Amino acid sequence: MSNKMKNEANIIVTKNIKKNYRDNGIEVPAVRGIDLTIKPGEFAAIVGPSGSGKTTFLNVISGLDSATEGKVWLKGKLLTDMKGKELSDFRRDHIGFIFQSYNLIPVLTVEENVEYIMLLQGVDKAERHRRVLEILKEVGLEEYADRLPPKLSGGQQQRVAIARAMVSRPSLILADEPTANLDSKTGAGLLDMMKELNKKTGMTFIFSTHDEMVMKRARRVITLKDGRIAGDETKK
Amino acid sequence: MWFYIKLAWRNIFRNKRRTLIAGIAIAIGLASLILSDAFMIGMENNIVKSATASFLGEAQIHGDGFRETQEVEITVRNFDEVITKLNQEEIVDKFTPRTLSFGMVTSPADVSSVLLVGVAPETEIHLSQIDEAVNRGSYFTGDDNHDIIIGSKLAEILEVSLGDRLVVTVAQAETGDLSQELFRISGIYHFNMKEMDSGMAFIRLEKAQQMLGIGSRVHEIAIKFKDKTYAVQEELPFWETYSQGGNEAVSWTKLLPQLKAFFDMTGISLFVMCLILASVVVFGIINTLFMSLYERMFEFGVLRAVGTRAAGVRKLVIFEAGALGIVSIILGVILGFVSTLLFTKTGIDYRGIEFAGTTIKDMLYPEMNVLQFIIYPIGVFIFMLIVGLYPAFVAGRMSIADALRKSL
Ligand SMILES: Nc1ncnc2c1ncn2[C@@H]1O[C@H](COP(=O)(O)OP(=O)(O)O)[C@@H](O)[C@H]1O
Ligand SMILES: [Mg+2]
Repeated sequence: MSNKMKNEANIIVTKNIKKNYRDNGIEVPAVRGIDLTIKPGEFAAIVGPSGSGKTTFLNVISGLDSATEGKVWLKGKLLTDMKGKELSDFRRDHIGFIFQSYNLIPVLTVEENVEYIMLLQGVDKAERHRRVLEILKEVGLEEYADRLPPKLSGGQQQRVAIARAMVSRPSLILADEPTANLDSKTGAGLLDMMKELNKKTGMTFIFSTHDEMVMKRARRVITLKDGRIAGDETKK
Repeated sequence: MWFYIKLAWRNIFRNKRRTLIAGIAIAIGLASLILSDAFMIGMENNIVKSATASFLGEAQIHGDGFRETQEVEITVRNFDEVITKLNQEEIVDKFTPRTLSFGMVTSPADVSSVLLVGVAPETEIHLSQIDEAVNRGSYFTGDDNHDIIIGSKLAEILEVSLGDRLVVTVAQAETGDLSQELFRISGIYHFNMKEMDSGMAFIRLEKAQQMLGIGSRVHEIAIKFKDKTYAVQEELPFWETYSQGGNEAVSWTKLLPQLKAFFDMTGISLFVMCLILASVVVFGIINTLFMSLYERMFEFGVLRAVGTRAAGVRKLVIFEAGALGIVSIILGVILGFVSTLLFTKTGIDYRGIEFAGTTIKDMLYPEMNVLQFIIYPIGVFIFMLIVGLYPAFVAGRMSIADALRKSL
């Protein structure tokens, strides 16, 4: 298979990703050369101890941060070459984000938070409303559309974040420790919901975690250690 | 666009206290601009009124050259025709003819040179305030042609009082022969303005014309407009119309150029005040905007991560500055209105103070107008948007990854 075909057939292809941070003039390597391929529809966990480079890696493959070296293709497009508007628009259209906490704008209602990306995309009002309600139903929060996020529990807020990430139907959902601020039962519930949605929609999910309970639910577990891949297992 | 406006509006109320403090600071600046402007207008009107209403009039018509030479021969040309025209003039409220000549006033005790003014008592009352200023005797009651009204200072110098006799000597037109008459003091006025109280004397117009030998001609027609602003409109056709056939029509701005210059300067000082106020509040506002930007860094990071372009967050920050501006403007307009209104009731007492060659005679009241409540608020709003540019630029340039590592 040619490189080009390989890049297009996969959601993510990274080649020798390296990322150094500059800390008081000293180069600190956070990611030290990662080659990884993620296929469409995967449900993959990136695990590893704190400081192993999970966040850095996720930021680089989503264009939130630049790589010091290496290349990232996302849906066959060379992401590491994009910048400015092009990169913003690419993220808007192809990647859904879920963060550890404070995902939502507190002064916007659940509906306004969820519809935001569609607003950026120029989807008309009626369609936005329809899709917001549809996705909120999916995550079990259709009655909370008019609530402000601070009025919701942590688990509910993360479900709204999932709804926001998925509502514009991107092909990739990235979640950096989405359960870190939840108790393990709620976290497990959230993961089950994500897995369910992954199965139903075929969207690719990549999430980082260092929680065993969460890890167990992943179909593929990629282990990072000191900025390198130390293990990559796919369950049968 | 609307979304960012909505978001900005909600955002500034997240920290109500900070918004209120910044808003009040800007509001005080705005209110003081409105109040100062109102006071400047009030002061201008006050001074112009002091200058024009006591004697000068808002405009005057003379024969060409009279103002420069004060020669008795130079009278208003085509007097009857001018009067007929003035009577039909839409913008003219009142006018009165005068003779003006230098003369000697002699009492048993002393002698003094004065500006002898011949007035038509019935129309003069609308133009000057001699009638109101007479505090002993009366202002041309009856029809005694030998009545003379003098100022209180002159009475002191000449050591005369009401009812005393004075000899007035003037030089006649053309011949220069001296003409002398005996007058009886029928009124003494007090203006609290030195030149007027010591250097002028008023007699009836016909008597003056007879003494000067100028027939029924006059030296000056003093004019009051229906609206005082006509006097400062240089492009008014009025000036052209009455500056023909050997006459010249001039407004008080030409008669008292030092006043005009002074008012032009107050305009500049108001502008300077704007600049000073702006530079004082600008750091406070920038600080407020940065504080609210930095404490929400993570949030901006999320907005950028999910696909907001840099321009989007720049817009949001500028709109937040604008929203803060609107809150400030509402507060400032209320504050400006109330404080100006308060001073409109109480006024400020500058009476007796000399200013650019005239003495302030009335209480000083600020004058409100609609423009103050349009121009200054719009100015503040635009100023806020400009001030918002810098934090907006910083917000657009931030590193998303760094922002997302904040406050976790
Ligand atoms: N902005 C930064 N400046 C300097 N060093 C950083 C920065 N961000 C992360 N690091 C370092 O990079 C390494 C990887 O961090 P990170 O990607 O956050 O790991 P993880 O998400 O697995 O905890 C750590 O050693 C961390 O201290
Ligand atoms: Mg991390």
